[in-house]
Amino acid sequence: MLRKSVTRRRLMKTGAGLAAMAAFGAPAILHAQARTLKITTWGGKWGEIMKGEVLPAFEKEHGCTVQADQAFPFVPKLQASPRNDPIYDVLHTNSNEQWKCVVEGLVVDKLDARAIPNLKDVYPYAVSDKIVGVSIFTSAIGLGYRTDKGLAKPTSWKDLADPKLAGQRGGYLIPVNSLGQAHLMMLGKIYGKGFDDLDAAYKALEALKPIKLYDFTGQMEKALLSAEVSVGVIHDSGIYRYDGTNQPVDFAIPSEGVIALEQVLNITPGTRVKELANAYIDYMLRPDVQKKLAEGVWYSPSNTKVKLDAKYDARLFNTPEKVAKLIQMDWKWYNERKDDIDLRVARILRG
Amino acid sequence: MSASARRRPDPVRIAYLAVNGAIVFFLIAPILIVGVFAVNPTPYISFPPTGFSLRWFEKFFTSPDFMNSLWLSLRVAVAVLVLSVLIGAMCALALVRGNLPGSRFLTAFFMSPLMLPAILTGLALFQLYLLSGVGRPVWGLVMGHTLVAVPYVLRTTLAVLHNFDRRVEEAAAILGASPIRVFFEVTLPLIRPGVIAGGIFAFIVSFDQFPISLFLVLPNSETLPVVLFNYMKFDLDGAIAAASMVSIVMALSVVIILEKLIGLKAYVKL
Repeated sequence: MLRKSVTRRRLMKTGAGLAAMAAFGAPAILHAQARTLKITTWGGKWGEIMKGEVLPAFEKEHGCTVQADQAFPFVPKLQASPRNDPIYDVLHTNSNEQWKCVVEGLVVDKLDARAIPNLKDVYPYAVSDKIVGVSIFTSAIGLGYRTDKGLAKPTSWKDLADPKLAGQRGGYLIPVNSLGQAHLMMLGKIYGKGFDDLDAAYKALEALKPIKLYDFTGQMEKALLSAEVSVGVIHDSGIYRYDGTNQPVDFAIPSEGVIALEQVLNITPGTRVKELANAYIDYMLRPDVQKKLAEGVWYSPSNTKVKLDAKYDARLFNTPEKVAKLIQMDWKWYNERKDDIDLRVARILRG
Repeated sequence: MSASARRRPDPVRIAYLAVNGAIVFFLIAPILIVGVFAVNPTPYISFPPTGFSLRWFEKFFTSPDFMNSLWLSLRVAVAVLVLSVLIGAMCALALVRGNLPGSRFLTAFFMSPLMLPAILTGLALFQLYLLSGVGRPVWGLVMGHTLVAVPYVLRTTLAVLHNFDRRVEEAAAILGASPIRVFFEVTLPLIRPGVIAGGIFAFIVSFDQFPISLFLVLPNSETLPVVLFNYMKFDLDGAIAAASMVSIVMALSVVIILEKLIGLKAYVKL
């Protein structure tokens, strides 16, 4: 009848074979191991250094296992997990998300300085009233630009509105990107009465059209590298990491100041390994760890005792005078208005 | 009809060919562009290409993150294929042959995972697993993918069963075949097109599954789409395009292997 009929034996063999293939090697992670620290961390070069050097060294020092989640979105996963057994012990996000979490009781409102000795050595901005937890690093949000387009180096945030840059300037999808949100507040300050002058900010945003919008900073980096945009809002790390690769891009610090893009660590209240979580934050603030990561990804370290090599020392924000130029945004204020802001900017930037 | 009239171009036929050509181009163009990105040596995705290089393929195949995730995606997809074929085919048989009360409602119920946004299915399963204390095991990921893959097998098998001539089974039974023999030697071969077509869908749905995986993968055990998404946030380079090309080749390989093993040409009508 049928040339290639399916016999019972063949079917069973195939099924068993496929099931065995599927199951082979599958890690049977049924129960969390004792002394496992669950953290979030970034990918990219940061993730390479963390997974390759920083985390293995911590595991060895503390005789534990670190489970580092690099798969976004972190906050919804934390929200969906039980409060008394959270999916993370230490949450690493930018400052805006930490504020969202503290309002919902997902992270503690203050770290225990006695349990984290290195906290005493950080710059004041790292534990200021604009931070929940501790900022272990920061990068500076300013303007990235192409050096091969005959453009003068930007000196002010207002330079982004230069009519010559129509369609050649880059920004972010404000509802999903904290650089875009910080830039919006900066527009309020530059063109209005202050960071909270949203009407002035909306008007200034309207004037930036046509503008190319991106989801992630990684996309903005590539847009600058490929000359898709000539000037764009970006953090210094996103430009300096191409140092020595002959790419025609540079970073400009606007005279009105740069915005701090803080890398914040905080502990979840329900963690069952609080001691280990504190130890991890202390470890991340240790000068040797700070130096390794700062020079690996061009982030400005928070610990005042870090001694950077000359080329990093020249550019990163690592002295009291330099860090005084960092502007920290009021994310609590912003988050309370985020839904309204999202609706408004969506109308402005539609099309 | 004269020869000159026969040679005159038919505008309807020309329009038909143009529309078909446009559709084929629309389907193939993204793959071609991804292919170009994958061999372009620049450290960013750009068009037109500035040269030819296999550096992104090298990066993909030498990266433990990419390789582990590719291997996990394949394992999960194979497991989902097996499970969804078994569950979907049995459900279809029960719904058509079982004289079940409310079979139409049950059919809609089994198809319902496709109606719910997959991101919500992922979030709901994530919460269920955590609250029940099982964590995020690989089998949980397989179950999540199977949930959305079963409807494909169910639908394609139902389509075959609805056109099934039951007199063939009756003839086999009258000639002395036992019910089990009738099933394996008559029913199964005849519904095979639907089951296999559904199985292929299930494999591809699982291999490319992102929204459900996003919540259910465990750190350091992420599927390829999740790894690509996270990679893209920090490094938008040609490795993404190389990974996409590898995925396309893998999917094509599955179809070709199935064609060689069991012959798919007969099932194209599905």
